[in-house]
Amino acid sequence: MPLDFAVSLATATAQASGTAFPWLSASILFPIAAALCIPFVPDKGEGKQVRWFALGVALTTFLLTVGGYLNGYDPSNPNLQLVEKVSWLPDLGLAWSVGADGISMPLILLTSFITALAVLAAWPVSFKPRLFYFLLLAMDGGQIAVFAVQDMLLFFLAWELELLPVYLLLAIWGGKKRQYAATKFILYTAGSSLFILLAGLAMAFYGGHTSFDYTDLMAKGFSVKFQLLAYAGLLIAFGVKLPIVPLHTWLPDAHGEATAPVHMLLAGILLKMGGYALLRFNCQILPDAHAVFAPLLVVLGVVNIIYAALTSFAQRNLKRKIAYSSISHMGFVLIGIGSFSALGSSGAMLQMISHGLIGASLFFLVGATYDRTHTLQLDEMGGVGQKMRKMFALWTVCSLASLALPGMSGFVSELMVFVGFATDEAYTLPFRVVITGLAAIGVILTPIYLLSMLREIFYGKEKAELVAHTHLVDAEPREIYIIGCLLVPIIGIGLYPRLMTDTYRASMEQLVGLDSRAVQALNAPTGSAALIRQAPLRAPGLG
Amino acid sequence: MPSPAELAWLIPVLPLAGACLVGLGLISFNRTINRLRKPVALLLISCVGAAAVLSYAVLAQQLAGAGATEVLFNWASAGTFTLEMGFRVDALGAVMLALVTTIALLVMVYSDGYMAHDKGYVRFFTYLALFSSSMLGLVISPNLLEIYVFWELVGMCSYLLVGFWYDRDGAANAAQKAFVVNRVGDFGLLLGILGLFWATGSFGFEEIGSRLQEAIASGSVSTAVAVLLCLLVFMGPMAKSAQFPLHVWLPDAMEGPTPISALIHAATMVAAGVFLVARLQPVYVPFPQVQLFIAVIGTITLVLGASIALTQMDLKKGLAYSTVSQLGYMMLAMGCGAPVAGMFHLVTHAFFKAMLFLGSGSVIHAMEDVVGHEPVLAQDMRLMGGLRRWMPVTSTTFFIGCLAISGIPPLAGFWSKDEILGQAFGSFPLLWAAGFLTAGMTAFYMFRLYFLTFEGSFRGNDTALQAQLLAAAGKGGEEHGEGHGHSHAEHPHESGWQMAMPLAVLAVPSVLVGLLGVPWNSRFGFLLDPHEAAEVAEHFSWGEFLPLAGASVTISLVGITVAVLAYALRRLDLGAAVAGRFPAVNAFLANKWYLDDINDKLFVQGSRKLARSVLEVDSKVVDGVVNLTGLVTLGSGEGLKYFETGRAQFYALIVFGGVIALVVLFGALG
Repeated sequence: MPLDFAVSLATATAQASGTAFPWLSASILFPIAAALCIPFVPDKGEGKQVRWFALGVALTTFLLTVGGYLNGYDPSNPNLQLVEKVSWLPDLGLAWSVGADGISMPLILLTSFITALAVLAAWPVSFKPRLFYFLLLAMDGGQIAVFAVQDMLLFFLAWELELLPVYLLLAIWGGKKRQYAATKFILYTAGSSLFILLAGLAMAFYGGHTSFDYTDLMAKGFSVKFQLLAYAGLLIAFGVKLPIVPLHTWLPDAHGEATAPVHMLLAGILLKMGGYALLRFNCQILPDAHAVFAPLLVVLGVVNIIYAALTSFAQRNLKRKIAYSSISHMGFVLIGIGSFSALGSSGAMLQMISHGLIGASLFFLVGATYDRTHTLQLDEMGGVGQKMRKMFALWTVCSLASLALPGMSGFVSELMVFVGFATDEAYTLPFRVVITGLAAIGVILTPIYLLSMLREIFYGKEKAELVAHTHLVDAEPREIYIIGCLLVPIIGIGLYPRLMTDTYRASMEQLVGLDSRAVQALNAPTGSAALIRQAPLRAPGLG
Repeated sequence: MPSPAELAWLIPVLPLAGACLVGLGLISFNRTINRLRKPVALLLISCVGAAAVLSYAVLAQQLAGAGATEVLFNWASAGTFTLEMGFRVDALGAVMLALVTTIALLVMVYSDGYMAHDKGYVRFFTYLALFSSSMLGLVISPNLLEIYVFWELVGMCSYLLVGFWYDRDGAANAAQKAFVVNRVGDFGLLLGILGLFWATGSFGFEEIGSRLQEAIASGSVSTAVAVLLCLLVFMGPMAKSAQFPLHVWLPDAMEGPTPISALIHAATMVAAGVFLVARLQPVYVPFPQVQLFIAVIGTITLVLGASIALTQMDLKKGLAYSTVSQLGYMMLAMGCGAPVAGMFHLVTHAFFKAMLFLGSGSVIHAMEDVVGHEPVLAQDMRLMGGLRRWMPVTSTTFFIGCLAISGIPPLAGFWSKDEILGQAFGSFPLLWAAGFLTAGMTAFYMFRLYFLTFEGSFRGNDTALQAQLLAAAGKGGEEHGEGHGHSHAEHPHESGWQMAMPLAVLAVPSVLVGLLGVPWNSRFGFLLDPHEAAEVAEHFSWGEFLPLAGASVTISLVGITVAVLAYALRRLDLGAAVAGRFPAVNAFLANKWYLDDINDKLFVQGSRKLARSVLEVDSKVVDGVVNLTGLVTLGSGEGLKYFETGRAQFYALIVFGGVIALVVLFGALG
């Protein structure tokens, strides 16, 4: 049960608290503090100086997270590391408590990495540049906080804090329907936040003493009924973020209106908050409920994959097409989380990282293409490849990465989910066959919509109207550099996945062990449930 | 000094390194690199050349009797699972290594001539090197998982190369079709691999075979499931090796440059499916149902390919359907449990079909001087004729290729095809009959191609016919750009040495390589399967061999004779005789068995319609509910204002209420 896990975690925390430099606090607070200084940066108003400042800050933050990883993080240790804990408001039970284990660390690195590239992607922004960079940097800190904090209340604050910049970034710099998209985004997310708060408070007040600390929550030994209630609430909340169909409709609107750098952050990091939170709360703190709910996650995952792939295929708007493809890829995360195998969960984690990189690159390219064609309608494009050959090459590589071509990260993560789920003894064979078969349909659908998209943008004869009215210049070095930076990890992971999986393997195995024990503790399924889950034959996920 | 087998990993890595280097150069210093044509070509050719040298060293080692070498490393792991990658060198792999590097090298030399005036010259060579690397990786893969990896990568290279001339609509559509149809096959392959891994816990070929039998014996896997898994895996080879009904992409793939058709879509990549089936023999052999299925699919394919090839007027398309048909023969051999025969045909076919395709490229190149850079004109045999006078090397090698594929002894095709037919005769007499009759069709359509192209009088300057062909292709109205500016030549010329030399080199194995596999002393058989070869040699009797061989030579000669009568001597008007009397048959063949139409109606339109309706549901129903909820909650602008300004209070209220509700609920539930 979670109790022994919590005890081991607590001892590890005690041992690690002697860390010299507060790497994580620094990575969270430095970009926010620096962002507050932006009004005082000398600038002539077009953002030419501010952007260098912002880039410097984002890079420093990236180096801080890397520094934390190199100096205070041991990948073979499954427990919380880089722990810092300072009592903040003792009356409220609120403490500044941060730390990182295998579930947090890769996402923290991803956040600071993508944000640095997003600042570079925001280079041409000239409308209210100070505010723009301020919001980007504030988001950087807020998002790292989401992944690093170890306190439910802090988590909620960080989760909410990151909404505001996104709302403003959408509402001020967005496209034509930006107000609608931004309002929809804020309503959706704020509505879902209620569930987090509810569940969080209920969990904190449960039992004898009040505590928001994750470790304490894990040690509380919630009753199964309570877990189920809390799990359902959290699932809705995180399902909006991930997103899970049918809670996804904010995403195409928000993505459809966002500018390229915001886009990169939305796809690269924001969606991962949902996946991270599912792992952290639903799987780690509520393992007994997870054992019950996991089949639902798997089914929802398959719905995500097929439904969003089909919608993407029919979309005529480039941004929305890619937005739906993101939803489709998130389906693999759900299936991986729902599997009780180390390989499947590991694949889910890798899929989050991989999609963070690939999604960011594709959305960046969408923005770069829009700057040139001034349209996102596929019907108005065509034959663009003849004038923009480098752009064509970059698009091709990133699309191939997105359709899970071997040698790139997406293939490895999807493969791990497939193999992990197919060999997961917690589910009955027919269920596995149906789910695997349906998920594999995604393997056919993804190239259909991505390649027809390439076909319509770049191949064929040049559209005379487009060429006459636009100036189609090829990719500039800055753009190639951004994509290049994203491709290095994409291909690196694709060639040798252990580069990434080894950083979180220990924690993930511990988590899967926890959930597997919860599954084994369940009664043998009866009735229709027996069609889905089977009484475990051997230790699932470890065999 | 490490042995060649230990260095085999370098064989795919060398071309990859070259391709990466040039590719990075192209993206960073586009203009400069594009100007360095010859140095780049030389670099990449030397990379592939070095790989070829190493491959031959590996082959020599295998000929000397070295065993299999396998090196694995832990590629990914979680829990107690490990996914391993590495490389494996054995006789089968060594043969493929030597074959692929040889043909890749010759095609690269040829491309220097063929692509000389193309502005994508450097890009073309980069793709070629990338393809060579992927294909070489495929043949040394030690397990199914790694096969799948390279399987996809060769598919990607094929996609890039078919769509090489991306300003042509035909090329763009064909590239996409090739990739998607192959993904349909990969869907089955992936599921099959997953299923076999579930059943056996392994990705290795031999291990899967033996453990699957154990699992069936112990009752943990039923035979039906095992057969289903085998068939799923077979979907991969069906798509890649263009087997019915997934062959539809291959003829369209001829939109790519001709050297690509020779290398990828005739000699190497399309043979990967056959190669995989050969690798999977330990898994397939215990299941006669699977074997029968493979044999039947192979037979349908060989009849289909040959029958459609009868009516093709496009030189390359004719060769493409001939490839489909020949791949069917190889698959038939696999289904008859004769992988050695199938692999032998793969090798001989690779040589003579590569030569035929390169020959057709030489013809097209020459025709472009006369009719301009318009594939509709340059590839149509109605505008050719009499080219033998001007193109001695091309016509001679093409003639040799026709003899070889028709199965005239002692050329290569005779020995390999005859071995397949002999095996089929023993296993499935009905399928043998189909293969036997198709051998006659093969001889007929190949010599039809030969006579229409190289004999008779030259028809290339018939402008009325040109206009008619353009109109038929729907291009009548527009000017065909590039070729229009400069004055056209009166008649075609023989191609330069870069193109003629590979043709001449390939002619040698096309004639001689079959002698390595004569049934009474098959050196090829001894290399791949010494045990079986010894048995075959022991049981060999002229009394059995001669009647069968004689029959297949006879039917080939009949086919050739009909072709001579119809197209060389013009004694027989087949158009009037067949098309006039049996218009249905003619239409059936000319429309390629209507398979493209069925695909289009059923799958392409069907999936589009489905996707559109899902989008409707998404925007009207799912999002509609959301917007409605929003509308109801907000009411009017009043509500919105309240929401924005009073958000914090609103929150607190709800949160408070929620907690109380939860506590009450808790009390009730206990």
